[in-house]
Amino acid sequence: MTHDPPSTPPPVRTIWNRVLCVAVLLAGSGVPLQAGAGDGRIVIRYWEKWTGFEADAMRSVVDDFNASQGRIFVEYSSVSQIDRRLMLATAGGVPPDVAGIWAANLPVYAENNALTPLDGPARERGIHRGAYIPVFWDMCHYRGHLWALPATPASVALIYNKKMFREAGLDPERPPRSIAELEAFNGKLTRRSASGRLQTIGHLPEEPGWWNALWGFWFGGKLLEGDSRVTADSPENLAAYRWVQSYPERFGAENLLAMRDGFGNFASPQNPFFNGRVAMILQGNWIHNFIRNYAPPDFEWGVAAFPSSDPSNPQAVSIVECDILVIPTGAKHPGEAFEFIAYVNTRAPMEKLCLLQQKFSPLRECGPEFFQGHPNPHIRTFLDLAKGPGARTAPAVTTWNEFKSDMGNAVSRIWAGKAPAQDALGDVQKRQQKNLDRRIERWRRIAPAHTKSWREQ
Amino acid sequence: MTGHRNSRFAQALIYGALVLAAIAFLTPLAWMVSTSLKPLNETMSLPQAWVPSRICWENYPDSIREMHDFWRYAGNSLLLCLLSVTGTVASSALAAYGFSRIEWKGRDKVFFVLLATMMIPFPVVMVPIYGLFKELGWIGTFKPLWVPAFFAGAFNVFLLRQFFLGIPKEISEAARIDGCSEFGIFLRVILPLSKPALLIVGLFQFLYTWNDFLGPLVYLTEQKNFTLALGLQSFQSQNGGTSWHHLMAASTLIVLPVILLFFFTQKSFIEGVATTGRKN
Amino acid sequence: MTKRDRHNLLTGLLFISPWAVGFLAFCAYPLAGSLYFSLCDYSALSPAVFIGGQNYRDLATDGVFWTALYNTLFFAAFAIPLGLVVALGLAVLLNFNVRGRGLFRTIIFLPSLVPMVCLAVLWQWMLNGELGLVNTVLNPVLGVINGILGTDWPAPNWLADARFAKWGIIFTVLWGAGNAVVIFLAGLQDVPRHLYESADIDGANFLQKTIHITLPIISPVIYFNMIMGLIGSLQVFAVPFVMTGGGDGPERSLLFLATYLYQNAFDYWNMGYACAIGVILFLVILLLTLAACKLSERHVFYAGK
Repeated sequence: MTHDPPSTPPPVRTIWNRVLCVAVLLAGSGVPLQAGAGDGRIVIRYWEKWTGFEADAMRSVVDDFNASQGRIFVEYSSVSQIDRRLMLATAGGVPPDVAGIWAANLPVYAENNALTPLDGPARERGIHRGAYIPVFWDMCHYRGHLWALPATPASVALIYNKKMFREAGLDPERPPRSIAELEAFNGKLTRRSASGRLQTIGHLPEEPGWWNALWGFWFGGKLLEGDSRVTADSPENLAAYRWVQSYPERFGAENLLAMRDGFGNFASPQNPFFNGRVAMILQGNWIHNFIRNYAPPDFEWGVAAFPSSDPSNPQAVSIVECDILVIPTGAKHPGEAFEFIAYVNTRAPMEKLCLLQQKFSPLRECGPEFFQGHPNPHIRTFLDLAKGPGARTAPAVTTWNEFKSDMGNAVSRIWAGKAPAQDALGDVQKRQQKNLDRRIERWRRIAPAHTKSWREQ
Repeated sequence: MTGHRNSRFAQALIYGALVLAAIAFLTPLAWMVSTSLKPLNETMSLPQAWVPSRICWENYPDSIREMHDFWRYAGNSLLLCLLSVTGTVASSALAAYGFSRIEWKGRDKVFFVLLATMMIPFPVVMVPIYGLFKELGWIGTFKPLWVPAFFAGAFNVFLLRQFFLGIPKEISEAARIDGCSEFGIFLRVILPLSKPALLIVGLFQFLYTWNDFLGPLVYLTEQKNFTLALGLQSFQSQNGGTSWHHLMAASTLIVLPVILLFFFTQKSFIEGVATTGRKN
Repeated sequence: MTKRDRHNLLTGLLFISPWAVGFLAFCAYPLAGSLYFSLCDYSALSPAVFIGGQNYRDLATDGVFWTALYNTLFFAAFAIPLGLVVALGLAVLLNFNVRGRGLFRTIIFLPSLVPMVCLAVLWQWMLNGELGLVNTVLNPVLGVINGILGTDWPAPNWLADARFAKWGIIFTVLWGAGNAVVIFLAGLQDVPRHLYESADIDGANFLQKTIHITLPIISPVIYFNMIMGLIGSLQVFAVPFVMTGGGDGPERSLLFLATYLYQNAFDYWNMGYACAIGVILFLVILLLTLAACKLSERHVFYAGK
């Protein structure tokens, strides 16, 4: 018995053929991505995390650089999940020449030999600590070497809704100066509905809760002593997280959960701070741009240092972060890459970049025109916080990602009323000390080879 | 099961259930399209409004522009899909035939090994595979994305094997008696009888490759080589501030071709040729 | 071995050679590599240092790992049967000769076509405790139930409540049942019509036809979907990962084994530890699949064997 195979219906076959041709044509068409670079210049690949207006700001500086000289051409790419992709590319032997990552990533990359040390080139160009706000220069160091140069900085502060203050009978020009005062204001600003549900609240550590791991700073505590001792459950940290714990105790864990679930997205008019449900938050200098886009037009806001627990020692404490520029190991043109990074770190381009991104500059010197033209009316406050002695940074250890995750989980448990601060922090302490010990052990093993190669570069 | 014997009541019941299911499955997508036509400040508002205050048709061309190289990415995606589909269907069918229509010593044991390979979670083998591609110098090219398709993924072999096993042995035996080679039986007897299954494999592979962003994320480094799914990532900002309206508009554009593809091919692989081999 | 047998062996091996080469290159070699790395302290950019079974010892005392294991097994235990029932139910529905069934089939399959990032955002909105669509529909239903039973159950705060977060993920994953539906549909086509016709003549009703004709004939397809469901749900990663923005949900209730693996590999740069988790995950999947195969083999009926 033979079986005549039915053939493919003709229309399908020709459709496939046509589609294949089109695909090959489209993919093969060599439409260049950016103008230029066909003129024999050295092309530097620059991977950056920014999108939207922040990307446009950097693109403009890149264009200036490309126009200012004829030897190097920088090709800017917006890359999502840049920390993971940079690692993969560097491990795969095809890293970009310049990458924009966060200062918090620095220890991991540096310790694992993923970055090119910049001490030599910086020294040759006369780039030194004195030109910077110290905390940002220090952030670019790890284990005694310089690994990056700052791009754009950030600091956090107490942002408060002046209108809500006025309505609650508080002086809108007088933000709280201590945690005790914060809680007193909190009481005045909190409103409940007839059924007991929370309508508005003065302050909520979980809103937005982006620095939940670091509340200890405002209580005089820190998470790491030296570079090898984890102090998650130190008395100061315990005090901080008992303060966090007081929220579900006072307001009820269920009430808080229900309230938070009605909060809209961060970048929307239903952001609880914009639509008057939360009066005071801990946020960074970028909040200005979001207020402009999403808050009602009559929104009045003030900025002050987030209060500390000890009113007799009123240090203006703030957490500072920084976007940094690095040269991965194995970059094809490290020398030219550094020229670009150094260019960004001179006054005029840096001020242009920071102004367009609506941030402040990490350089010590800053012209008055910068502040005159600045869209953020409170930028000076943020700058002063970064310059002051109260500027704090997240622990510069390679285990920070895991540490932060553990702390987040601890806060989650405290918040839901599932564990008291003592236990939650105790668990973190145990796990993270063990983790850090393990990493230090690994470092001891690979240190000789790494430090030798760093010194030679 | 044909429906012509069902009562009116049964018909209504079936129809009702289908409509309910359709609503359940369609709602989120309807929201995706609705969001794609909203201005940015309405996209993430709660409570959700289905109809935007004004219909922003411009979101579509805007999103294409914001992705910088939409048509190039589309071409890349299409090329990768076609290569993958060809490789997958060809290699999987061959392997599935070997596992089902020929009796050879140790076949079932080797098949169990194949089953076992499906249990290997991708992140586990990702690092050594990445190292392998690095040694071959393929990182940054398209090769890691389509060459493995020519080596018969376990899922597709398993699927096709199950279908091939459903074809009665007598058909193969008869062809063998007629003097047909194994490859001849494969090509002229089994393949045509398995059109639905082959179409499914091809379709799934197309969809997978079209929407795959993890592979391109890891292996592609040059922006000009990006695929559409990867390009979609460029709308997501890391500190809040995603342009949802553009993201949804671009997603709708990306989803549209596959929806059409599915709609026009589903008839041919669900109905039709499959049943002809069963009559005897 | 007879000449016939030898011929069959060679032909068989030839046919499966594409798979065999791929297996060696993309499975055996990387798996061996991962196994080796699981016995090392390795962070991708530094050379791996052999430390023996240290990673496994650490896993045994790692509370987070056991949480991840529990979450994964819980998820699989519910997602697999629900997935099979929903997919088969939909396939049977879509197999009836109603008008516009092509349209219905496309609609059911649509969610599988949507890019992951959109899917996650859509469902995040749908599952919102106060204003999401799911609760908007659920609230009146709960009101009726509460009224009848005199209870006071609120609509849960799906993704923010550790007790219900996994159910939120299960619903999201069910929505992608289109793949399994399509496979069931193709299988349903294979059922010879004359069997139904004879059953009708014998006076069988719908349920009897389903149990005695449909299910046995499509049992290879059910078996396939079950195995795939098992393997897939034990490896669940993408949906919860994108929905939590790379995190692990309230009190780690959405931390699955694959998530923990990914975190260790790419967030904490603990590749060796991650590979150890991977090996354990692989063993879990292997053992459960073996068990599933053994238990169901006698229920599966092959026309071609």
